[in-house]
Amino acid sequence: MTAAFDDIQVDQRIEGSKFAVTRETIRAFCDASLDYNPLHLDDKYMEDSFGKTRFGGVIMHGMTNFGLITRMLTDWLYARGGIHRRLETRWRAPVRPGDIIQPLARVAHKKITRLSCWLLLEIEVRNQERVVIATGEAMAEFPHDLARAVGEQ
Amino acid sequence: MSEARFETDFWKDAKLRKSWDELVPGEPRRTLPYVLTLEAIRKYCYAVGDLHPLYLDADYAEKSPYGGLIAPPSIHILLMFACTPTDDWMRSPGTINAGQSWSYHVPARPGDTVTLQARCLDKFIRKDRLFAVHDNVFLNQHAKVICSGRGHTIRPL
Repeated sequence: MTAAFDDIQVDQRIEGSKFAVTRETIRAFCDASLDYNPLHLDDKYMEDSFGKTRFGGVIMHGMTNFGLITRMLTDWLYARGGIHRRLETRWRAPVRPGDIIQPLARVAHKKITRLSCWLLLEIEVRNQERVVIATGEAMAEFPHDLARAVGEQ
Repeated sequence: MSEARFETDFWKDAKLRKSWDELVPGEPRRTLPYVLTLEAIRKYCYAVGDLHPLYLDADYAEKSPYGGLIAPPSIHILLMFACTPTDDWMRSPGTINAGQSWSYHVPARPGDTVTLQARCLDKFIRKDRLFAVHDNVFLNQHAKVICSGRGHTIRPL
């Protein structure tokens, strides 16, 4: 077990940076991800109904949440010798230009296996009205020897 | 593939893409190898404000346990579209992402030639919506797994 893993407490919280969503950040994400789905670009198209769902204007890529959650986790993990190993997400509500979103995490469980040490984290992303827009769970590894673990890769 | 040739109009070739009815669970998707550049990594990092020096500062990265620059784990967001052709059904306008799960092994690095093994794994109807499950594995030029992941999308009719 590493000292950093030992220091981590169940229920410990992590706060990610706030991210202000604009048409420009959505467009930049199109260019960075190559995802040019009209959901993110075309207000006229978004006036239509999608089955039971009506968005009423362009929405942010769900995967922007994924990138922001990853950023929160890796900033925290790299500083402690941890490796980001898994992230599962579900999108709960659409995000629109003007929204300010923030990822949050809670250490839910620690597990020591035959070869390594692991953390499970509960994840959520909330908007400026504290509405949960994404939920998920993550798994991180704290190898006994980070340099060796990374070198073996 | 170069970014200059990437077709950003997702309506073009829309008729060539498989509808939900035509998807065959288990059938592989056609994919393309992609050379991941430092420029593409930087563009992604700036789009989500993820400016860790492991991704952007070669001196810092070389002295780290990683021994050189890496890409953020979530770079598969870019790789999904970079490694698939314009007629891939994940580009269908109106495709709604309902959630994804990804597992990470070796980091992607600038200069890697990335390949994708991908398929529609499952399709179903729930609450009157058409769902398809996509299943993906990204590999580097040494045949090492970068990451594997699965996602649910709600399909247009």
